[in-house]
Formats: sequence, structure tokens, C-alpha cells
Amino acid sequence: RYVRQLQRLQLLFSPTAADARGARQFVEEAAQDFARQHPDVVLYVSPHSGPGPAPVLRAEYLNGTVREELIASKTSEEIVQLATKLANQSGLDIIRIRKPFHTDNPSVQGQWHPLTNKPSILTIQGPRLQPQ
Amino acid sequence: VAKTSLSSPPWPEVKLPDPVEEAKYHAEVVRKVNGLISAGHYGRLFAVVHFASKQWKITSEDLIMMDNVLEAECGDRIRMEKVLLVGADDFTLIGRPLLGKDLVRVEATVIEKTESWPKVNMRFWRRHNYQRKKIIANPQTVLRINTIEIYPCLS
Repeated sequence: RYVRQLQRLQLLFSPTAADARGARQFVEEAAQDFARQHPDVVLYVSPHSGPGPAPVLRAEYLNGTVREELIASKTSEEIVQLATKLANQSGLDIIRIRKPFHTDNPSVQGQWHPLTNKPSILTIQGPRLQPQ
Repeated sequence: VAKTSLSSPPWPEVKLPDPVEEAKYHAEVVRKVNGLISAGHYGRLFAVVHFASKQWKITSEDLIMMDNVLEAECGDRIRMEKVLLVGADDFTLIGRPLLGKDLVRVEATVIEKTESWPKVNMRFWRRHNYQRKKIIANPQTVLRINTIEIYPCLS
């Protein structure tokens, strides 16, 4: 019952640029293995010819966030690692999270308030100093 | 001994009950709790689990994040051992310090493996022209607790 949060990965690069060498090697060798290992991620490879924008790996997630990572002057293994990292992420923003846990039902036996485990006379009498 | 301010301890003296009666009371309590568990008269269960060098209080369907890398892929089901405490609305089972594996079963799934937000690690010495700046992004894993189950085999 696990749904991968990555929708599609778009690899934009130009076949003539010098800094897209790693991207070209990745497409030749490792792209097929990557696509087979992650069958629920769609991988689009779109080469645009001529001198265009820098080579970029764009990841789109199920909640609409788009994340772009530069792959200029990166080796094929690094691109593979980057792609697996993006595939394992979800589309939430990477900001400081205040708590490492999140519950919808924080208390099972009733939340503690200062009158638990005290004799019920206190609700009538109130706190009073007993004469010693 | 004369009664002075230091002849007896300052806390109130507690009389312990009879050991035979204690044993009978314990056996009855255990029988009742066993009956409740086998009949299924409990609602939500919560558990205290020792995981990644921290103790978490977890119920079903809640999220936990750790600052390390687990060797499981996204979508793997994980069974957590090292359960210290299990409780429901009417009763709790306390382990000393752990509960048996045939008593409790806590299952979780790995949801995502991301990196943390980029933290800045900077070192600076004044008047020495020394500063180093490094950006650190720790790998993190997010787990979701699926189920907590107990089986009626107390003793």
C-alpha cells in the first residue's frame, strides 16, 4: 500500500553541449536500468539540439512541486544517485521541520491534567494547607 | 526509642500487604487482562519503542522521522522489536525492560528517504583570517507506523 510520490522525471539536455556529457552517458547506459528498477516512475528524455539552457533533471511530484537539479559536468554515476534520491523523496518543501513525529491521536488513556491521580475530594474542597 | 525529629524517616510509613494475598490478586489481574485481550475489548493501542537510539511513543498511523539511513527501500514493511511498553484504554503491559516478541508486533513502512534542509557549518577565528563554510544536508528517513498488535499469551 505504498505509493511513490514522484510522478515523472524529465531529462532535458542538448546532445552537442560539452557539459552534458554525463547526461548523454547516463541516457546511453543507465537510463534503462533505472527505469526498470523504478517501474512506477515515468522517465522522459528530451534532447533539444543547439546551444540552449543548461542540462537539467526535472522531477514532478504528486502534490505539484517541481524540483530542478543541474546535471552539468556530472558523471553518470552521480546522475544515477541524484535520480534515486529524487525518486525516494516526496514533494514537501525541504525546510526546517520542528518535530520529527506527527500523530493524529496523541493521547490514548486521556491527556494528563493536574487533577489526575489525586483524590477526588480536591475538586470539592480545593487545595488547602493541612494543619501539621 | 524516644520520638525525636530524626528517630523515624520523614516519609509516611507504608504497610505492605500479605505476600499470599498479593499473589492471588496478581493472578486474578493477569486473568482479567488476558480475558480482555483475547476478547478484543481494546480500542487504540499505543506503544513505547526504542528505535534509532531514541524512545518513541507511537500509535497506529503516525509518522516518525529519523536522522539516518535505513537499509530498506521505500515501501518496505519493517517489524520493530525492542518494545518497552504497550497500553490501551484500560490496561498497560510494562516490560522489564523489553516485552517478548511473541506478545507484541509493531509494523511500519518506509515512506520516503530525503535529505534535511541545508544547514550551514561555519568556523571562524577572529583576527586570524580563518573561516571555513560548509553546507551539510543529513539523509533522513520517514516511517509510518501501520499496526500494533498484541497476542494473549501473558503469564
